[in-house]
Amino acid sequence: MRQSNIGWLFLAPATLILFVVGFVPFIYILYVGFFDWNTNAVDPTLRWAGLQNYRSLVFDTTFLNSLARTLVFAFFVVVSELLLGYVLARALMADRLWGRQFFRTMHTLPIVVAPIAVGATWRLLCVPGFGIVPYYLKLWFGIDYNISTNAYHAFATAIIMDLWHWMPFVTLSLMAGLTALPKEPLEQAQIDGGNKLQIFWYVIVPMLKPVLLTTVFIRLMDALRSVDEIWMLTKGGPAEATRFIGLHIWINVFPKTDYGYGAAMSLLTLYVTIVLSWLLFVAMTGRKGGAQ
Amino acid sequence: MSGFQPQKTERDGFLPIRTNGFDRGFISVVILILVHLLWMRFLEGVLPLGVATVLCLALAVFIIRKG
Repeated sequence: MRQSNIGWLFLAPATLILFVVGFVPFIYILYVGFFDWNTNAVDPTLRWAGLQNYRSLVFDTTFLNSLARTLVFAFFVVVSELLLGYVLARALMADRLWGRQFFRTMHTLPIVVAPIAVGATWRLLCVPGFGIVPYYLKLWFGIDYNISTNAYHAFATAIIMDLWHWMPFVTLSLMAGLTALPKEPLEQAQIDGGNKLQIFWYVIVPMLKPVLLTTVFIRLMDALRSVDEIWMLTKGGPAEATRFIGLHIWINVFPKTDYGYGAAMSLLTLYVTIVLSWLLFVAMTGRKGGAQ
Repeated sequence: MSGFQPQKTERDGFLPIRTNGFDRGFISVVILILVHLLWMRFLEGVLPLGVATVLCLALAVFIIRKG
């Protein structure tokens, strides 16, 4: 009993911090979401709105399109980063690779760059008439690449920029996971005659599951709240082609000062993130029950 | 070893996964929110939102007891 009390005592500071920075803002947002509150309105005070913000939300096509766009973006980003990250992790672990340490350092550098700087850099690379990307795409392939006017180009560039920034994180996580794998099951599978694909699918992937799960969760949650990079790259344009949910909420909360509606949007986004993460967790851990 | 040990209270119910009490509560809340949002979007003009609340609470009790 005494040990248990000491355990709670050690946990108390972290619990207190989590309560103050996590739980209290959540309750506040939940509270604000039930009010009509715009400091730029004729009446800038909080006025009870009940579920009106949520009612407006389910009919708001800009918000729903933004949410759908964000889910598509997150899907492409997470899947691409996982696949490419795994390939890169295996490549950087290969003994035969010349200059392995140099490449490891180089490929990890984007992680330390601030998102706002990443967005600014990619903007300079891609800005029409000035950046080197549109110049060489036109010169070598004849492609009129323009992120300011072409929605597909802007969306693809946002995905590639996120890949460049965060794939090293996935690679590092997978490298750590692969390095920690025990050798015996792999050797046994080889002796039993398993080919590379079978060893990968039936031995490596199940043993890597905890690392994969953590990596996917972190990247999924990050991808669903991309704001600063996208703001610097396209400002959500052209039209609304790259206005992801985080950016949409930011536009409503700060320039428009619509706090009540912004709170409702934030809560719905949190709901989507939690549900997606939970579904992914259940699917990846395979918690099959008797009804299955 | 007399410290705090989490209790394993997972069980098989009609849900397709093994669940504990928290899981069943969580699933109930998720369904409640989803049904209310969809109700507001498609059915509120015909049936009031209170109907959704009553249905979801009944479903929540069923999930928590039998899920």
